[in-house]
Order: sequence, then structure tokens, then C-alpha cells
Amino acid sequence: MTKFVIRRLLWTIPVLLLVILFTFLMMRQIKGNPFRKSERAVPAAIQANLDRKFHLKDPWYEQYANYVKGVFSADLGPSLVLRNQSVNDIVRSHFPISLELGFYAFLFAIVVGIPLGMISALRANKPTDYLAMLVANAGFAVPSFLVATLLIYYFAVKWDVGVPTSGWRTWQSKILPSIALGFFPMAYFARLVRGTMLETLQQDYVRTARAKGLRWRRVVGLHVLRNSLIPVVTAAGPLLGAVITGSFIIETIFAIPGIGRYYVSSVSARDYSVTMGLTILYAVIVIIGNLVVDILYGFLDPRTREART
Amino acid sequence: MEPADSRREAQAMRTRTPIALALLVAVAALVAAGCGGGSSSNSNSSGSGSGDLAANQTLTMSWGAEPPSLDPGLATDTTSSNVLLNIMDPLVKLDPKTLKPVPSLAQSWDVKGANVTFHLRHDGKWTNGDPVTASDFVYSWKRTLSPELGADYAYQFYGIKGAQEYNGCDAKKDDCNALKAAVGVSAPDKYTLKVKLVAPQPWFIQQAAHHSFLAVNQKAVNKWGEKWTEPGHIVTNGPFKLAVWKHDAEIDLAKWNAWRGAKNVALKRVNGRIITDGTTAVQSFAAGEIDVNTTGIPPSDLPRLKTEDTYQNYPALGTYYYGINVKNVPLNERRAMAFAIDRKQIIDHVAQADQIPATGFSPKGIPGFSTIENDYLKPTADLAKAKQLLGKTPNAKKTVSLFVNDSPGHKEIAIAVQAAWKKLGITTTIKQMEWAQFLEFLGPPPSKAVDTYRLGWIGDYVDDINFLELWTCKSGNNNTNYCNPKYDALIAKARATQDNGARYKLYAQAEDMLTGPNGDFPIIPIYWYTYFTQESASVKDSFNINLLDQFDLSKVKVVNT
Repeated sequence: MTKFVIRRLLWTIPVLLLVILFTFLMMRQIKGNPFRKSERAVPAAIQANLDRKFHLKDPWYEQYANYVKGVFSADLGPSLVLRNQSVNDIVRSHFPISLELGFYAFLFAIVVGIPLGMISALRANKPTDYLAMLVANAGFAVPSFLVATLLIYYFAVKWDVGVPTSGWRTWQSKILPSIALGFFPMAYFARLVRGTMLETLQQDYVRTARAKGLRWRRVVGLHVLRNSLIPVVTAAGPLLGAVITGSFIIETIFAIPGIGRYYVSSVSARDYSVTMGLTILYAVIVIIGNLVVDILYGFLDPRTREART
Repeated sequence: MEPADSRREAQAMRTRTPIALALLVAVAALVAAGCGGGSSSNSNSSGSGSGDLAANQTLTMSWGAEPPSLDPGLATDTTSSNVLLNIMDPLVKLDPKTLKPVPSLAQSWDVKGANVTFHLRHDGKWTNGDPVTASDFVYSWKRTLSPELGADYAYQFYGIKGAQEYNGCDAKKDDCNALKAAVGVSAPDKYTLKVKLVAPQPWFIQQAAHHSFLAVNQKAVNKWGEKWTEPGHIVTNGPFKLAVWKHDAEIDLAKWNAWRGAKNVALKRVNGRIITDGTTAVQSFAAGEIDVNTTGIPPSDLPRLKTEDTYQNYPALGTYYYGINVKNVPLNERRAMAFAIDRKQIIDHVAQADQIPATGFSPKGIPGFSTIENDYLKPTADLAKAKQLLGKTPNAKKTVSLFVNDSPGHKEIAIAVQAAWKKLGITTTIKQMEWAQFLEFLGPPPSKAVDTYRLGWIGDYVDDINFLELWTCKSGNNNTNYCNPKYDALIAKARATQDNGARYKLYAQAEDMLTGPNGDFPIIPIYWYTYFTQESASVKDSFNINLLDQFDLSKVKVVNT
């Protein structure tokens, strides 16, 4: 197991180098000038000063080498657009907020999604099932910006139940965005749990447990649920990675100072260093998330563990 | 300037489908509404009659963006500019009505040809207690010009002798220190600032109201380096202090009681929330969370909100226009295209923000406008004339491309224009592009594929030269391939003409050359911009936005309603 973890960790290094290289090359391919923000042309002398300051006219391999050197000494470079901030500053001040929002959203998804899926499975093809799956399917189909806007419109403006329309300050302000962001994963979990649980309920050992007189509640709680959660854990890893790295849409709609919006705004502003820094951040989180899931999986199911020693 | 951000035009109000409602009810049930109490905070109401000064002089407003930088040398956008102009003390301000420069930190100034002298007040103070002196300005302006800072707006100073040379200096080849010393700005004594211009510039005093010309505190810059603009580090000299700056979330300003004019400043505090999305700002305003929405209103909400009392509309110094690649489209066809467009209809039914139909490139509100304007183009279309003009063009292009960027609103206008040109028998292909690529595509010179394109121009300072110089041959903002030596000569002559009346007459000739009866029509003006906000009744009378999109918070008073 230790060997497996170490090998996986070592693999992250070449993966990261490739991620950096591809992002780097792709960013240079799209046209656009980070220093031209409006229709105003940038005079040649000023463009030259800026190119020199940020080493944008150095040969690409030198820029790449310098950047990699920076990354391995934990320096993601300066932002080309937010002129008084470095990429490290941006990550430091905005990532914790996305992390917090992502955590609440995920919590919402689990606390609501799993019971919803269970109820559905246990009352399969009954009105309760239909209602629960209606919610789940809607969560799948309705885009988050619509969910967010509807939540704001009804809860913050029309009924004014005490939650603000936007911001990230009081605990009240954190409710709506967490629900809006957690809506899709909630629906995903609900459907996943329903499906696997229906399957598990057909298993012989469930029938056996029932036959030997075990209480239904205990059968569901002990045998069925536990076995149904394995796919949920598998799906949770990447989903958690996606949720905690922030959401452009939710953060913009709720005016939340998270990191998610930078994934989009840095590309449209051609803020090369921010885009690259965030891509690396995302890659690291996905790598760690997958690793944790693999380890957890090994604990849950010994068969997979043996296969990889 | 920047493309407006609100991308959500397909809005909730229209899309309240049964499924969404069912989903909402379900969620409501699941969450079990665990949130009571708390009240929305419309801060200013405290007994007494309406119109009186409220006891609580706190303004809550939205800023439209995170300021990319609060360094006067590096700031280029509206939000940064507005924060800066309220926490710093400019040499001059612009009279909101006449746009003439009025004294601020400079109590007076003399202009003798290319020599300008500002006489500074003696009671200007930095928040660290130091006096504001002329050498602060010398330091700041040279700092902005220094090639190492890489300031986007360094060109604002190019009118000063030696400025362009110093800004373009390459440490590997040139003696930058000598060039720095040669820049024509000096402080013969503590309160006298002397500026030597390359040539007389009648608009220089007005230009000094721009935020690029603000002074920075050398001690703070030396101590904190790039981080000097953070709250706690920043040293300012204006009516307000930067109290809070939480990136992407909040910018709060607090009245600085030691400011030289503090007794006339009513506001005690400005709580500013950074809201980039128009819909979010509109909803925050509707919920009473903000008193002023400067973020904007999404096009889809405009027709509804326009009728409310809180809607405010201000003229802007800016022109929304269509440019034409003169190498691809012949002259009379360009004229015909200009006459086929119904500006008024576009404003009333498409743009919908009370913009003003533009009958020329020089915007209404620019000093000398009554002299400069011509009435060749009309707010409405003149199809007969357009057809007649097109009839004179045997080699007319029957299919033209029209390039627009993908921010909300532009495509809708393009479709209206497409329909108008269709009536002339011209088929228009609209191509939408993402902003940064779009700009690259336009050049100059523009890509050959570009026949027509949309762009806007917002003035930096209040002289028409800022607009008309765009269409000179070497202008970096001329994406039309238009190059007329006669036009260039006219602009050069205007530059050298100090007398306002005489200069405006030259501007009128230049404008005629663009959009007059014998005009070359490298561009088709569509409308003159307006700025619009939502303002609650408590500040509606005192909160104002000038032609340059600036607001002076030291003039704002919260009244009881």
C-alpha cells in the first residue's frame, strides 16, 4: 500500500510538467494581448516595456523553464492584469472561499442526495419515488445559473426570508450559493444511490438476511446501504475536486470572492500566469482527490487492493 | 471600455417553467427554511422629515468590478479611477456642467504657450501627516513614465517634453537616467509645479483631472513596493480613506476628517460591494441592500427598470460606431450604408438605454459641440438618399462582413443594421468574436476579411482632439485603413491652435471630412453613449456621474425620504 502511494505521488511530477507545458503552449496559441483591455491601442513603446517587464518576448523554452522553476519553489509569478497582485496572492485570498463554498455544497449534496436516493429506491415506482426523481432529474437538467437566480429571486427578494441576495459575509449569505452549487451533485448522488440500491436489493444476501428474520431497517442500514455507497465514493472524488475549485457561474451570480471566476476571467483577459497557476492548482487537486478515492476504495474492497501491489 | 460582463440575458423572469417551480418547492421543503430574522439593510432612515440630512451618513453602493490596481500609474479602468479620484486629491477637477477645470489641490495655474505652472495649495496633506508638495507630482509622473513600471497609461504624459523618450527608453541601449532628468516637469519650490510641454496644448489643464495625474506617496511606495496599495499600507491625500479592500468582495471608504475640505463632506462612510454581474446588482438593489447600483442593468431588465424613479441616466463622452474598411467598400456605398441606418429605431427598440442618436463622431457634450456638429446625417434613416448614393456606385460590394464582439447587445444592433442594409440590396454576414481576439483581428491594419466592424470610443479628457485624432493615418486606433493627408493636416493644425473658438472651427472641418456632405465616411456613427444607474431616493439628488463616468462622493449627501 505504501509503495502504491509513493509511486502514485512520484507520478504526479511528470503529470504536472505536462500539464504546465500544454497549458503554456495553448495559452500562447490563442490570440489576444493581456495589456489591451479596451479598444484603446497600446502604443508600441508601452507594449515593449510591458513585454520586457514580464519577459513575454523571451524564447518560449526559457519562459517555460523559468516558470517551472518558479512553480517548484511555490512561486506562480505575477498577474499580468491585477498589477499589484501575484498569482500566489490571488490563490491565497480566493481559494479558501471556494473551498468553503465547495465544502458546504458537497455537504448539502450528500445530506440531501443520499437519503433522496434511498427513499426513491425503497419506494420504487411509487409517488414518493416519482417526486424524488423529479427533483433529481431537475437538478440534472436545470443549469445552475437558473437555480441560483430562482433561489435569489424568491428567497432574497420576493419573500425576503432573511438571506441576502449576494455576498459572502454572514452565515445567512452562504446558504443560497451552497444549495445552488450543491444542486447538481445532490441530484447525481440521488440517482446513483437509487440505481445501485435497487440492484443491491435484488441480491441473494439481502434475501437471505430477510429470510433469517433480520429486521428490514437493519438490512437496509447495514447491508444494502453500505454496499450501495461504493460507487458514490468513486464518483465523489472528481466531483469534490470540481466543486471545491469554485464555480464561475455561482461565484459571479452571488458576488462571491472565490477562485472559480478566475478560471474564466483570466482566460478572457489573457492573464497567462493566472490561467496557468489555476490549471496547476486544479490538476493537483484532481490528482490528490483520485489518490484518496483509490486508497479509500482499497479499504472498502480488498479485491482492488490486491490487484495493484 | 471593457466589454460589459453580464452574460445572462436569458433571464429567470421569462423562464419560470413548471419544472423549475416544482424543483424550487421541493428544495424549499428539503432545506426547511432554516433562516429567519435578519433584516435587509437599507441603512439610511432616521425619523424627521424628508429632504433633511439623515443622521446616518452612510452610503452603500456597488462597484462594477474589482479594481485591477489602485496605483494611479497603473489604473486604467472606471472602477479604479473612481476609487482613486475619491481617495486622492487631483490638481484640478472638472466642473460637472461646463467641464471647465476648477481648482482642487492646485489653487491656480498659468499657461504661457508650452509652459504650464500649477500653484499648489499649502494645506494639502497625506494621511501619514506629510504635506503634499510639488515634488510629489514630479516623482509620481516620472514614476509612471519609467519603463520599469510598465504603465499602460504612460501615454497620457506624452504631451510633456521628454516624456515619450524616457518612457521608450531601453536600459540596454539608452541612458535612462539622463532621459529621466530631461522630462519637462520640475518643482522650483515646495508648492510650484512647472510643466514644459512639447507644444502648446489647450486641453492640458483638463487632462490633468485624469487619475493618471494624481500624486502617489513616495514613502509608501518605497516601503511596500507593489503592495503599497493595500489598505493599511496605502497613503492617500483625498476626502476619503481606503478603509477596507477585500479583493473581489468589498471596497469601503471612510471620511478622512483631517482632509483640507472635510467640513464640507457629508458622507461618513461608503460601503462598497464589488458586484460584477448586472442581474445580481439589480437584485441587490431591489432587496434594499445597496443604495446605488453603478454595476449596470442587463439589457433584458432595462425596459422594466427604466420606468422606475430610481433609474438615472447620464450622458457620456463616448461614441458607438461602425467602422468600415475603406479598402474593401467604396465611398458612395459607405455613405449609402450610413443613411440606411435608423439610429433612433435602434435606440428605441434595441439598445433601449436612452442613448442619443449620433449624427457625427464627435460626441454631444464635447466643448464646442455646437460649432463642430453638422446635420448631414439624421437620427432616422433616409432610404431614398441611400439608394440614390448607392446608384452612383457601379462597383458596390453586394455582400459585406460585419464583425462584432460577443458581449450582450452588440449582436442585436448588428441584426438591425443588417436589416437596414438589406433594404439597399446588400447582404451582411455577421461574425461574432471574443473580445481579445476581436481586437487583434481589427489591427490596425484590419484583417482583409473585415468589411465593417463595431467599436466604441470613450474620451479620456474633454477635448475633441481625443476623438478626431483617431482617424489620422498613423493612429493606433484607426482600424479602417482610412488615410487622408488633408485630414491629418487639419488635425495637426488644430493641435497647434490654442484659441478654443478657432480650434473648434477646425474640428468642425475635420468632422465634416468624416461625416459631412462630402465626407469620406470611414465610420458610421450609431449613438452617443449614456451611463445609467439605479439610485435610491435618499441619494438620488446628490449622486451624479459626469461625462467621463466619474462620481464625486465628497458631494453626496444622504437625505431622509
